[in-house]
Amino acid sequence: MTRHFVGFDLGTTNSAAAVFDGEQVTVVRNRQGGVLTPSVVRINAKGVATVGARARGFLDSDPANTHGGFKRLMGTRKGLRFAAAGVERLPEELAAEVLRSLRGDVADQFGFAPTHAVVTVPALFEVPQSHATVKAAKLAGLEHVELLQEPVASALAAGWDRTEAGWWLVYDLGGGTFDVTLLESREGLLRVVGHDGDNFLGGRDVDAALVDWIVRDQGLGLRREDAAHAEALRRLTAAAEEAKIELSRANEAAIALPAALLVDGDAIEVDCVLDRGTAERLALPLIDRSIDRCLALLRAHGLDASALRHVVLVGGPTAMPALRARIAERLGVDPAEGLDPMTLVVRGAALHACAALGSASPGPGASPAPSPSAAARNVLLKFPAMTTDPTPPVLGRCLAKPAPAEVRLERVDGGFTSDWTPVDAEGAFFFLAELQPRRANTFRLEGRDRDGRAVTLEPSTATIVHGVTIGDPPLARTIGVALASGGVRVYFERGAPLPARRTFVHHTVEAALPGAGVALRIPVVQGDFDEAHLCRLVGAIEIDGGALDRTLPSGTPVEVTLSLDRGGNLSAQAYVPAIDEAFESVAHLLVPEATPEVLEKAVAELHERLEALRRDAFRLQLPSMVADVDRAEAELARCRAGTTATRGGDEDAGQKARRDLLELEAAVTALEAARRWPELEGDAREAMVWATSWMSSHGTPAESRLLEDAVAQLEQALAQRNPRLLQLQSRHVRRLGSAAFHRWPGAWGSMFEYAASRVHEATDLRRAAEVVAQGRAAQGRGDRDGVRAATEQLWEMLPSDVRTRARSHRSDVR
Amino acid sequence: MDPLADNPFFVLDLTPACTAIEVERQAAKLLAMLELGLAAAGTHASPLGRRPRTPEKVREAAAALRDPARRAAFEPWATAPAGAAPSAPGAPWPEAFAALTWWR
Repeated sequence: MTRHFVGFDLGTTNSAAAVFDGEQVTVVRNRQGGVLTPSVVRINAKGVATVGARARGFLDSDPANTHGGFKRLMGTRKGLRFAAAGVERLPEELAAEVLRSLRGDVADQFGFAPTHAVVTVPALFEVPQSHATVKAAKLAGLEHVELLQEPVASALAAGWDRTEAGWWLVYDLGGGTFDVTLLESREGLLRVVGHDGDNFLGGRDVDAALVDWIVRDQGLGLRREDAAHAEALRRLTAAAEEAKIELSRANEAAIALPAALLVDGDAIEVDCVLDRGTAERLALPLIDRSIDRCLALLRAHGLDASALRHVVLVGGPTAMPALRARIAERLGVDPAEGLDPMTLVVRGAALHACAALGSASPGPGASPAPSPSAAARNVLLKFPAMTTDPTPPVLGRCLAKPAPAEVRLERVDGGFTSDWTPVDAEGAFFFLAELQPRRANTFRLEGRDRDGRAVTLEPSTATIVHGVTIGDPPLARTIGVALASGGVRVYFERGAPLPARRTFVHHTVEAALPGAGVALRIPVVQGDFDEAHLCRLVGAIEIDGGALDRTLPSGTPVEVTLSLDRGGNLSAQAYVPAIDEAFESVAHLLVPEATPEVLEKAVAELHERLEALRRDAFRLQLPSMVADVDRAEAELARCRAGTTATRGGDEDAGQKARRDLLELEAAVTALEAARRWPELEGDAREAMVWATSWMSSHGTPAESRLLEDAVAQLEQALAQRNPRLLQLQSRHVRRLGSAAFHRWPGAWGSMFEYAASRVHEATDLRRAAEVVAQGRAAQGRGDRDGVRAATEQLWEMLPSDVRTRARSHRSDVR
Repeated sequence: MDPLADNPFFVLDLTPACTAIEVERQAAKLLAMLELGLAAAGTHASPLGRRPRTPEKVREAAAALRDPARRAAFEPWATAPAGAAPSAPGAPWPEAFAALTWWR
């Protein structure tokens, strides 16, 4: 029986399904015969949902009961209302309707409804958005879901038939998101080198620019902040999108609405012509923004555009001739031809399903589980379901005793047979299988006992597809836990290979009390900054007081484990050894709400900080800083416009503004750090002197070599005047210095005295006084371990100040 | 990754002469061995003595060796003899200051 591997592309504008049979990928046709299903859902008065092209037909005529574009709201609490049925649906529930429809299309064409599938997400999707996507897939009836980053999927599909070595960019401009991924192909392996992108840049932004032009050109007086104008703007947007598509083939497009627009009670006819030149001029700043991201990604990896061998375009908006020309002009390489930008992602998803999930159809799976057959000996077999390696490893372990004495692997076409291989004392065996290129290769596993009699093994077959595979995808943004000190304990660095799992021990900063309410809060943040408030809060492990049967004193250890799957889906666990209790599924994953009030306050605060920077720049006569401030002010003006649109009911614009404001705050903080350069430089030089001094007296040769490396990098950061790099390298230098410092016999005594001098600030004064007494006694006995224990306990009781706690997303741990 | 104790070449039991495909093959083999619970995969040799090997370490090591720049940085350290005696007694506790939140 043929095995099938299923992938879904859940897009902002369109979605699709594809099935891979081990050699060919088939994009699934929907009931209307198309391969793209519009991501639009309509719910009628009887509560019946319609999905796809039929629903899209109602977007204009029945907007109160039809919604699209909900992917941009995934992970938010924003319910979308269907007036006739009187119901509200979360974005993930609407996404589930789309996936359910696609699953039905697979069943119609292939005769089975998939239970396992890969679903693609943008590379820069944040944790709550990925989490909502998994929820949608489960709601749609999928039992086992793996998320895959869209650019990785595109690269897999584009790389399937190509073997040339070199650097690639996958430029993916969707309806609502932009992703760019740098890949390297070498020795037949495809490697994701890095990502960049903008979660809120897409074809819709081009549509919005065209609408603004129409509003100005026709003098319509429509305002995004006015909820009464929302309907007219929505109709204009649909007309602008159609015109944009037409302009991919024609030089002019008419914008004529079938019925007059109602603006403030007046009926206004819209009838104008948009020419390609005007459309390109309006789209160019957005295209340039995306190409700037490409160049930044190349720069971040020490490359320039001349290094590129291919640029693969993905997404409907990439059909714009101006976009292709601009990419060729600025990146110096023509976009690759012969690849369908609309189905590349879903093809890659189906290919990846083979490597990651196993068959979605009934029949032998790709990672067979042992069956309870009485006559056969059960074996656990491990092998890559798909691999680039022509001789991949196949390992197994016999579960049943006695294990066969020897085993052999044979390719069913007879082209390869291994030697008889002895089974070791653990019941394990290992082969290197030989594959036929670009084929599904099925192998038979045979066993025999010491007397040479055949032993039946279960499972006895393994199928390995030879094709392009991709190394573990890298994490797009650093993930960690916010600390009460305002810092971040990094769990997974940007670029860490996925899947990943890590555990760290934290300590509570205050007593956690039993009873109602949240007793302990551990915020999980995502972002590449050392300061928690600059990172995005993507969830929080909250332990309810009701789950505690007694008070946990300050300083109680809490073991926090964060796990990420290949698609960046996060799960979290907190274990409190003192009560021997684990708190599962406690991560509260939601995109924060973007209310106009919160956004306006953030805009005002940033404006004040920028004004302060501008005054300093003039006072210190720093023209480059004035230019930086001007650029930041321009960005702030864009955020202000988004905030205004939120007042008109545009939640999507609000989410965009929220993210942009966070990015801008990070940029402003970097400017402020640059203003603090003399102070940072002083700190760094002090760290160098301190570490070198301790290293010379107490360091090992290995540590001395590491310090030399770190100092060289610190000098480089000083030369580049790079505040972030400087802080990072200063930290490395201090850590190495501290390694040497701790060999000094008086190290813990010195730290104890410093902590004891702050004992009046402790959260539990009585206990702190006892610990100081214990520490003094330990010093008297010459007990270094006792002094160290007392010092650690004292530090756990010293609080962070209120302002710092507020900037740590209210973290209760250090 | 610590260039001595957790050098990717030590984690994967490879030498700096290995090819890219050997890195993939060895990582796949070790991950499979860890999944099967085979004792031989549980630790790896290093100049500081045997160290625990986990699936995360194997993935990180493979990712480091896929990147030519990072691989080059680890190569000189991988020539140190693995399995040599551990470092001097009273080993440092480099995490101390970070753990005490003096920095970070």
